[in-house]
Amino acid sequence: MRVPRFLAVTRRIFMDLKNDKRTLALMFIAPIFAMFVFGLAFSGEVKNLRTEVVNLDRGPTDTVTPTFSLSGMIFGNIDKSVLKLESSSSVDAAKAKVENGDAYAVIVFPEGLTKNVLAAKQGKPISENTTVQLYIDQSNVNVANAVVKTVNEALLKTADQAGMKLPVTVDTVAIYGKNARFIDFFVPGIMAFVVFMLTTLLTLVSFVGERTSGTLLRMLATPLRERDIVLGYASAFSVVGILQSAILLLVGILAFHIIIVGNVLFAFVVIALLAVVSQALGILLSSFAKRESQVIQFLPFVLLPTFLLAGIFWPLEAIPSWLRPFSYLVPPTYAVDACRSVMLRGWGLGRIWIDIVALMGFAVAFLALATESLRVRKG
Amino acid sequence: MEEEKQDIQFSIEARELTKMYVNFTAVDELDLRIERGEIYGLLGPNGAGKTTTIKMLCGLLKPTSGEARLLDRTLPDRGVASMLGYMPQDTAIYPGITVHQNIQFFGQVFGLGKNEIAERERELLEFIDLEKWRDVVVAKLSGGMMHRVSLACSLIHRPPLLFLDEPTVGVDPELRASFWEYFEELEREGTTILITTHYMDEASHCDRVGFMRDGRLIAEGRPGEILEMSGTTSLEDAFLTYSRRSSER
Repeated sequence: MRVPRFLAVTRRIFMDLKNDKRTLALMFIAPIFAMFVFGLAFSGEVKNLRTEVVNLDRGPTDTVTPTFSLSGMIFGNIDKSVLKLESSSSVDAAKAKVENGDAYAVIVFPEGLTKNVLAAKQGKPISENTTVQLYIDQSNVNVANAVVKTVNEALLKTADQAGMKLPVTVDTVAIYGKNARFIDFFVPGIMAFVVFMLTTLLTLVSFVGERTSGTLLRMLATPLRERDIVLGYASAFSVVGILQSAILLLVGILAFHIIIVGNVLFAFVVIALLAVVSQALGILLSSFAKRESQVIQFLPFVLLPTFLLAGIFWPLEAIPSWLRPFSYLVPPTYAVDACRSVMLRGWGLGRIWIDIVALMGFAVAFLALATESLRVRKG
Repeated sequence: MEEEKQDIQFSIEARELTKMYVNFTAVDELDLRIERGEIYGLLGPNGAGKTTTIKMLCGLLKPTSGEARLLDRTLPDRGVASMLGYMPQDTAIYPGITVHQNIQFFGQVFGLGKNEIAERERELLEFIDLEKWRDVVVAKLSGGMMHRVSLACSLIHRPPLLFLDEPTVGVDPELRASFWEYFEELEREGTTILITTHYMDEASHCDRVGFMRDGRLIAEGRPGEILEMSGTTSLEDAFLTYSRRSSER
């Protein structure tokens, strides 16, 4: 009996797969890997947000250390896993911490909160302040939402315990990112990530081409040094990266009216640095690919985890603490943070220098490794 | 020895050049002396170690042991790179850019000035007969044309020493003939050429040939001498004779 022709094709595909262990691994390990990465990195719960508490409430009798106060009850009902609370003595000092990026929010319990609420309970008109004031860094939409939600939940719980409706209101003031929407928060992040992803992939593809076509060897037989090749690629891709992000920003501004309060040029510096890091990574990874088609294999194992760890959708605070050290190992994390700080907080070099130093560190290390990876071939 | 060195200038001198990999020895204590201005053909089947030899001489592979001197400089010597022309086995030019842009790129890599490149490019395009194709993207050329562009790229800086790794593989007979005309013309200009091939018939164009097998040189001499010594009428038969003798040993 003759085998149907289509089965010959089927059989050949299976034989190909059997011989290509990497593709085989890709097909079965990658989905499992992706599931774990999504499942672990993406609980979506924001945690450990540094929050300053300024308590000006002195209980029912205006004592310095009251034995009972409404603010104390609310304080006790705040979910401490979400908000990492620290006490601060003055509103200005607490706000300064948010302005410097050392905290995300300030909760201010006003003077006479307990007294005024008790008075209101006895039927007297609310003459005095019963508003809990929040100052929030809203440049991170998820963070802002989590703060407001947690405080409101604490108020509800307190009301439950007290068995009454609390005449307490919550007022929110944005320290950064006033009226910021998700898109405003998302664009700086995706801008950094797109440059990272495309630069890495483009360098990978063109460098695998250099290796397979023999042009790399040919270049190395000329007075060109390994570092010249790496620097040449770096210069080209940092320009491409800047152009990419400029176009992305333009469309963001025109189509989505995104908020940009800072100097975009600082963001471009960051993007150029990230592009240098990314192309060096591309050159490095190219030594693990024998053909252009194998470049696809890097997508689930390198780009996907980076995408999830870099804080593009979620703040780093939403990534489980045991996983967060890995966030600090992927370069886009710093670029995303810096671009967001520049565009939504209006920060200058003086405040994003840590991100820039980190990216420079990555750049130096990756450039050195990429140069070395070209030299190793001579062994 | 000293006197001899003064009389004859060697462009390439290799002594006990060896490249060992984990499982096998690609080049096994190879001794090679190639005079200035000669065409030397390294002949042998695939896997004989020809390409490995060229790569070691071009500084692309580190020898496991042994010594090599190019143009009176002991390798490794980065400075020698500017005097080498290397045409790899693969076409190794950029398919996405034009013929002109490829030639220009390699000109710049060798540190030539703008005018120098322009002048040299004109000469080379005439030489490889592709003047009309100057501004065509390489990917649109035929395989033979790409080979010619590749040759032009390795000649841009007038190298005194030229390594040609199987330049005629996959090239039609007509083009092969014109390639050899180029090579002989370069020789007349004083270029030393080390060429590898497994087309035995091409070897008759060489001043001297070396037969390579299993990483070793099994015979060497002028094509006429080799025929005489082996008692055969074609280099192909000569190679088989030597090959048999060396495996018997």
